[in-house]
Amino acid sequence: MQFPAPLFPGPHRAGPPSREPPCPALLGWGGRGPVLGAGAEPRQGFVPLRSEKGENWEPADAVAVPLLPPNAGFRVLAVTPHDILYPGRVRRKLQAGRTEAALDFTRQLAHFFLDHPEDAFGAMGQLLQENFHLGEARLRGKACENVVPLSALLRELSHMDARRGCRQLWVSSRLRGFCHLSQAWLWELPLGMLGERLHEELALQWDQLLFDDAPTGGALAWLPTGGIGASRGCLLHPAGPAMDQLCFQDVVLAPGEDGALRPCAQGSPAQFKLSGRVRQVSATQVDGAAFVGVRSDYHCGAWRLQPGAVPTPLQVVRTTSPASCLTVSPHLPGELSLCTHSGAVYLWSVETGLQRLCQEPETMFFRDASPWRWSEFTAHPRVLSYADRTGVQCLDVRAPTQARRDLFKVGAEAGCQRGERVVLPLYLGQAHPAQHLIATQFSVYVVDERFPLVPALRWEHMMTVPPIFAHMMPGSPRGRSHKVLLGAQRTQELMLLQCTGGSTSACQLVGAPRRLHTIADGLQYLPAMTPHQLDWLHQRLGMPAAGVTATLGRCGPLESMLVFQLSEAGDLFYQTLLHSQPADSSPERGHADEPSTSPSLQTPAQAVQHLPGPGTSCGSGTEGEEEDRMETYLSGLEVLVNEDSEDEDSGSAGQPTDPGAQGQGRTSPNQTPAPSPAIAAQYRRWLATLSHAWKHLAEPAKPRVPLTLSQRRLFTRRELGQVPGDRVLHQQARRQLRRAMRERGLVVGCALGSEPSPLPLPCPVEPQAWPDDLSERLTASWVGGWSNWWEEQQGRSQARQARVRALREQRRRRKRARGLCSLSGSFSSSLTCQSDLSDFSDVSAWSVGSRAPTPVPASPQHSLAPSLSGQDAPAEPWPGSPLACSTQLSQEPGGSQDPGTPSQLLSSQMLRLRGVPRERRKTLRDYLSIFTESPVEPPPEVPSSQASRLGGDHRVPLSQSQASSLGGERHVPLSQSQASSLGGERHVPLSQSQASSLGGGQHVPLSQSQASTGSQAKRKRARMGF
Amino acid sequence: MDGFVEQPAPREEWGSLAPSIHLPLLPCLLHHPVTRGPKETEFQKTKEACLNYIQDALLQNQWQRAAEFMISYLEILETSTVSKRKTAPEAIWRIGTEILLHHSKSNIEELNYFTERMKNLGVKYYLKVCLEHIFYLLCNGLIDEAYQNLTLAESWRYGEQTAAQNDELKLIQAYKGLLDYYNWSKKREAMLELDEENFTDSSEQEMHNFFRQAAVNLKEIIKIPGVWDPFVVSYVDLLEFYGDFDEAREVLTEYAYNSKFPPNPNAHAYLYHFLKRRGESKKSLVSVLKILHKTVPSHELMLEFYTMLKKSKKDKKRRLGLEVIFEVLDFAGWKENVKAWSCLAEQIKQILDNSNKHLDWVKEEWNSRKDWWPAFHFSHYLAKRNWQENEKLAYEKALLAGILLGKDCKYYKYVLHQGCKAKKKRFQTLKKFVKKHNSAYLRITACSDSSTHL
Repeated sequence: MQFPAPLFPGPHRAGPPSREPPCPALLGWGGRGPVLGAGAEPRQGFVPLRSEKGENWEPADAVAVPLLPPNAGFRVLAVTPHDILYPGRVRRKLQAGRTEAALDFTRQLAHFFLDHPEDAFGAMGQLLQENFHLGEARLRGKACENVVPLSALLRELSHMDARRGCRQLWVSSRLRGFCHLSQAWLWELPLGMLGERLHEELALQWDQLLFDDAPTGGALAWLPTGGIGASRGCLLHPAGPAMDQLCFQDVVLAPGEDGALRPCAQGSPAQFKLSGRVRQVSATQVDGAAFVGVRSDYHCGAWRLQPGAVPTPLQVVRTTSPASCLTVSPHLPGELSLCTHSGAVYLWSVETGLQRLCQEPETMFFRDASPWRWSEFTAHPRVLSYADRTGVQCLDVRAPTQARRDLFKVGAEAGCQRGERVVLPLYLGQAHPAQHLIATQFSVYVVDERFPLVPALRWEHMMTVPPIFAHMMPGSPRGRSHKVLLGAQRTQELMLLQCTGGSTSACQLVGAPRRLHTIADGLQYLPAMTPHQLDWLHQRLGMPAAGVTATLGRCGPLESMLVFQLSEAGDLFYQTLLHSQPADSSPERGHADEPSTSPSLQTPAQAVQHLPGPGTSCGSGTEGEEEDRMETYLSGLEVLVNEDSEDEDSGSAGQPTDPGAQGQGRTSPNQTPAPSPAIAAQYRRWLATLSHAWKHLAEPAKPRVPLTLSQRRLFTRRELGQVPGDRVLHQQARRQLRRAMRERGLVVGCALGSEPSPLPLPCPVEPQAWPDDLSERLTASWVGGWSNWWEEQQGRSQARQARVRALREQRRRRKRARGLCSLSGSFSSSLTCQSDLSDFSDVSAWSVGSRAPTPVPASPQHSLAPSLSGQDAPAEPWPGSPLACSTQLSQEPGGSQDPGTPSQLLSSQMLRLRGVPRERRKTLRDYLSIFTESPVEPPPEVPSSQASRLGGDHRVPLSQSQASSLGGERHVPLSQSQASSLGGERHVPLSQSQASSLGGGQHVPLSQSQASTGSQAKRKRARMGF
Repeated sequence: MDGFVEQPAPREEWGSLAPSIHLPLLPCLLHHPVTRGPKETEFQKTKEACLNYIQDALLQNQWQRAAEFMISYLEILETSTVSKRKTAPEAIWRIGTEILLHHSKSNIEELNYFTERMKNLGVKYYLKVCLEHIFYLLCNGLIDEAYQNLTLAESWRYGEQTAAQNDELKLIQAYKGLLDYYNWSKKREAMLELDEENFTDSSEQEMHNFFRQAAVNLKEIIKIPGVWDPFVVSYVDLLEFYGDFDEAREVLTEYAYNSKFPPNPNAHAYLYHFLKRRGESKKSLVSVLKILHKTVPSHELMLEFYTMLKKSKKDKKRRLGLEVIFEVLDFAGWKENVKAWSCLAEQIKQILDNSNKHLDWVKEEWNSRKDWWPAFHFSHYLAKRNWQENEKLAYEKALLAGILLGKDCKYYKYVLHQGCKAKKKRFQTLKKFVKKHNSAYLRITACSDSSTHL
C-alpha cells in the first residue's frame, strides 16, 4: 500500500476554524489549488490539486425517469413551513447564519383543543355539566338557580365554526367575555406547560425542516449481482404507505436505442414488512454474498443476499434510543457497526451479537448539541471510525477505551470554516483502502487514514443544503477517476465529482463538478393539467430525497452511469449519464464544450426548479413566486406547450406522446430539449398510475386544497358532447390559441375566425317605469343630482302633509254639510262608544279614498312598496316593470274592503257629540281606524285555529273604559300589547299582527295613524341609513 | 498535537430556533418573504438571479451559457451595497476563471488578460489571484512567465497583511525558490553532461546564484509548519549537492519530528531515505522506521523495516519484526500483497524450523487475530478467488492457513486440493510441511485457548 510521495504543499495551522463562511458560496470555482511537479524534473510539468481535465459525463435524457410505479399507498405529506410558521416571518441573517422564524403554535393548540376536547376539557366539563344549560327551552322557576343558559354562546360558536378559514374574523363580545372569564380554569392541562411543550415540538419540527439528519446515509442501495459492473443487480429500497416495507427489486440493465443503459425492473420484489420507517439501507458485498443493514428509528436489521437466492433475514436488534447509523463491514461477513443517539457505538456481529465499544454523550473536540453519531469501517477491520458533528476518530475494537486516533477535526487543521460540522463520513474502501470522504455543509474532504487531520483534498461543494447521501463508484486502476455522488435531502440536489490518486500520486479532484437532474426537474415537462393536480404533483415530486445510489455499466464502447434516486414518498427515479470521449484532446482543453451555443437552447435553469410548471400558475401567487416567474422570464425561457395536442386536460391518459409533435418541439430553436418520446410515455404511465391511486385515496389523506366552485354543472353533458358547428373553425381556433400560448402573445378576436355576432343589448332602463322612491333616488344618483333630489323630497313630504291636512278638513266640512245619519247606534253598546265611532265615516272615506289620487305620506314602507298611486304611471306600463303588477295589486285591498257604514262612526261630529275633547279626537280616530280595517275577512292563509279564534263577530266591541284608557299619545304597537291583555277582544290585535306577519303578498291598508305616527320615527331612522 | 480545541458553541448564541447545523443557505423552498430588514433593490435581485443562472450553467458544464450571463453579471461591481462590493470581485474572478478554463474558445492570452485585470480589483485578492495565475501558467508549461509573475508578486507590498495573505506570500516565495531549484538542477544536469573544463566559471556562478535564491526561499517556508514535500525534497537536494549534510539532516529531522508539523508519513520516509543514502547505521534507520511504524503501521516501508528486523540478532527486534509483518497484513490494502504474505510465511517457517523456539510469539500475535483473520483472509471464497487470480498468493496463504488454522481449514483444503489437482510439486511439499507441523498448530490453538480462558 503505497503512500503518495510528494503531497500538495500547504501550511498547517492548529486551532479552531477561523475562516468566515463566504457569501455567496462560490469557493468551489476558479481556484486550482497548489501545484505539484508531476515528477522530479520541471519538464514533466505541474499538476494542480483541482484539475479541469477529467471524464465528461453527459446526461442521456432531459429528466430523471421513474423506474417503478409510484408508491401508491404513500399518503404522509411532508410538513411545510406554512404548517408551523406564521406566514412571512422567516428572516435570515446570512452572515451569522441564523434563521429567525415565528412558530405558529397557537394554531396547533387550537387544533389540539378541537381534536381532543375530552383530554383538554373533560373533567371541567363534567363538573360544570349541571350548571350549564345547553338546551333551547327557557328555564323557569327554581331551575334557574345556579344554571347558566349557554344556547346563545353555542349558537355563536357554531357561527364561528362556519366562518373558520375566513380572514375577517369577528369575535362577539359574548364569546370574548366567556373566554376572559374561563381561560384561567377551563383547561384540563396547564395551558402554559402545554404551550411550552408544543412550542418545543414545533421548534424541533422547524429544525428538522431545515435539516433532518435521520435519513443520513440514504435508504437506497444497489447490489450488483455478479460483481461490479454487471448488467444486473438488486435495488434495495423501502416502499409502502409508511415506507416500512423493504423491497429487494431485481433490475436488469438493458441498452436503449441510443446505447445508454436503462434499468428495467424484473419480477415482483421480495418484500419484508418492518416495524418502522426505513431510514437507512447500507449494503456491501463480502465474500461473494451481500450483507444488508437496515436502520429504522428503533430497530436495526441485517439481511444476507446470496446470488440466486431469496434474501434471508439474519438478525434484528432493538435500541432504546434512536439509531443514527448502521454500516456494513466491507471486510468481514456479517459484521456491522451501529451508533445510537445516546452516543454509543456498537460492533454488531451477526454471530456474536452486539459489543458496545464506547458511549460518549459528549462530542469529541468541542461542544455540540447534536446527538448524531456515525461510524464507518476503516482499512483495518478491527478499527472503526467514529464521527460526531465535530470530527472523526479511529476506534480500535480490541481496545476501544485506549487507542483513539483523530482522523478529522473541524478546525484550522483541515481549513474548515466557522460553523462547519461533519454531516456525513463515507469510507471509500473500494477506491482506496485508506481513504475516507467527509462531507460537511460547506465542503467535501478526502482524508487519508495514514495522514490524519490534514485532508488530502478539500473542495467547497456549493450545495445549498448539506449533502447527507453519498455514493462512490470506484474507477478502474488504469487512471480512471473515482466518481463520487453527493446528494442533498430537501432540495434533492445531486452533485457528481471525480477524484483520482491516493496511492502513487497525490489525491486530485479532476474534471468539472456536475449537477444531475433532480426528481422535481421533471415538473417542467409535465403535460398541462389543472392547478390542483399540478400543485399536488409539485408536492409529490418535490418531496425530499431519501436516498441515492448509482452504478456503472458498459454496452459496447459506450459507458453508462445509472443514478438512482429515491424520494421520501417512495418514488424511485433514475437517470443515465453517458461517458463522452473528449473531442478535443489538446492538453489545455480537457473536454469538449457542450454542443449547443445559444443560451436559449439550454435546459431550464435549476434556479427555477421550484417554480410551478411553466405556463401554468398554481395556488396563490406569493411574492416569491412572482420573483421566480420574473426569473423565468429573464432567462428567456419559453412556455413549454404540451406536445400532445388532443388530450390536454387528461395529461395522465397514459398515451404515448405524438412523435410528430415531439420532433417539432425539437427543431424549434426556442424550446428546451424535451424528453424523448419513450421517456415521455414512461412518465405518462407513471402519472396515470399516480392519479389513479390518488383518486382512490381516502378523503382525509388528501392534501387540503382551497375551496373552489365546481365547473361540472356549468354545461350539461349534451352540451359538452355537441360537435362544434364549424369543425374547421374550431380546430383553427385551437391552433391559434396554442400558438398564442407558445409565443406568449395575445389572442385577438378576429384571429379566431369569424367575429362573434354582437350580443343583443339589454332593454334600456326607463326611469319613469320605476316611480318608487328608491328607483327615483337611484336614478337621481346616477344622473348626479342626488342632493337636489333629497332636498326636493324633504320639501315635498312637508308639502304633502300640509296638503293632506287641508284636504281632510275640506272633506270633513263637506260631510258635515251632508249630515248623513249613521248606523252607529246598532254597533255600540254605550254612548261613549257611539260617540267614539261616530267619525268612522270620515276615516273610512279617507282610507277608501287612498285609491283615488290622494297623497300618500312618503314613509319608507310606502316608498319601498310599489306605489299605489297611479298618478305618475305612464299610459302604457313597460313590460316587466313593477308598474304592471302594482296596478293590479292596488286594486285588491280596495276591492276587498267594505266601504260601508262603520266609517261614519268616527266622524268628528259624532265624536263631538259624545263629548270627546277636540285634541283627543284625532288620536281616537287614529286608533279606531285600525278597527275599521281589521274586521275584514281573514285572509285565506290564516290557519283554521286562528280563524276560529277570530270569531264570527267582526265588529269592534270596544268598551268605554277601554277607549278612555287609550291615551292620546299611545301608538298602535302599544295598543296591540294592551289589547292582548284584554281577554276576549283578542281578535283585534290578532288581525293586526296577522297582517304584518303575512307580509308582502297582500297589501295591508295601514291606518293613517300608524302611517303617520307609528312610522314617523321609523322613517327618519331608515332615511338616515341610506 | 493539541487534541482538544476550545470553540465557543455557536448554538447558544443562535437561540432556540437556529438549525442544529449552520446552513450556508436557506433552502429556497423555505423562503418566505422577508418582513423586516433592509429591502433588496431591483438591481440586487436581478444580479442575484443572474448569479444563480451562472451557477446553474457552470454546474451543468454549459460554459458558453455561463459566459453570456457573466457579461451582465459584471455590473455587480457597481453595486452600492458594502457587503456585496466586498465579495463581488472574488465572485467574478472565480467564475470568470472557471469559465475561461473550460470554455472551448478561450486561450491562454485571454486568461492572462482576464487575470491581469482581476489583480486590480482589490488589494485583498491580489496575492491570491497572482498565485492562482502562476499555478495556471505552471500547469500549462509556461515556466518563464510564471517566474516573472512570481518575481512581481514577491515584491508586492501593501500595508498590513492578513494571515492568509502572509501564507500566500510565503507560498509565492517558495514557488519561486522551487523554480530556482529547477533552473539550478537544469544547470547541474548540463554541468554533469559537460566536462569539468567546459563548464565555465560564469555558468557555475549562475548556478550558484540559483542555489542561493532557491535556498533562501525554500529554507524560509520550511520553517513554517505545513506540508512542504516538494520544497523539502528540493532543499535537501540542494544541500546534499553542496555537501551540507548536517543542515539537510536537521531540516529533515525537524520536518519529521517537530510536533508543530502535521504527522506526514512522507517526512519520515524522506528522513529514512536520506539516512539510507548517507549510509547511516542500521540502528538509526530502525529507529526512524520504528516511529513510522507507530504512526503508520501500513506504510510501504514496513516491509523494509521487517527485513531489517528479521536480520537482527536480537530476539526483541525479531519479535518486533513478526509483529510488524502481522500488522501489515491486518490492513485491507495489503490483503493481496504476495510479498508481505511470503514474508510472513517465511518468518513462521523459520520459527517452526527453529524447533518452535519462538512459537509463543506467533501464538501471541495469532491470539488477537484468531477471531477475525479466518474470515478476513482464509475464507472459502477467497481461496477460490486467490487461486484463480494469483497462485503464488494462494500458496503462501494456504501454508499459513495450514499452520495457523490446522489442516481442516477451508482455505488450506481448497488450495491444496486445487494444487494437487494441477499436479504442482510444491503443494505436495506444502502438504507434508503442514502435516509435519500439525503439532505446532495444536500448540498455538491450545495456548491461545488457555490464555483466553485465563
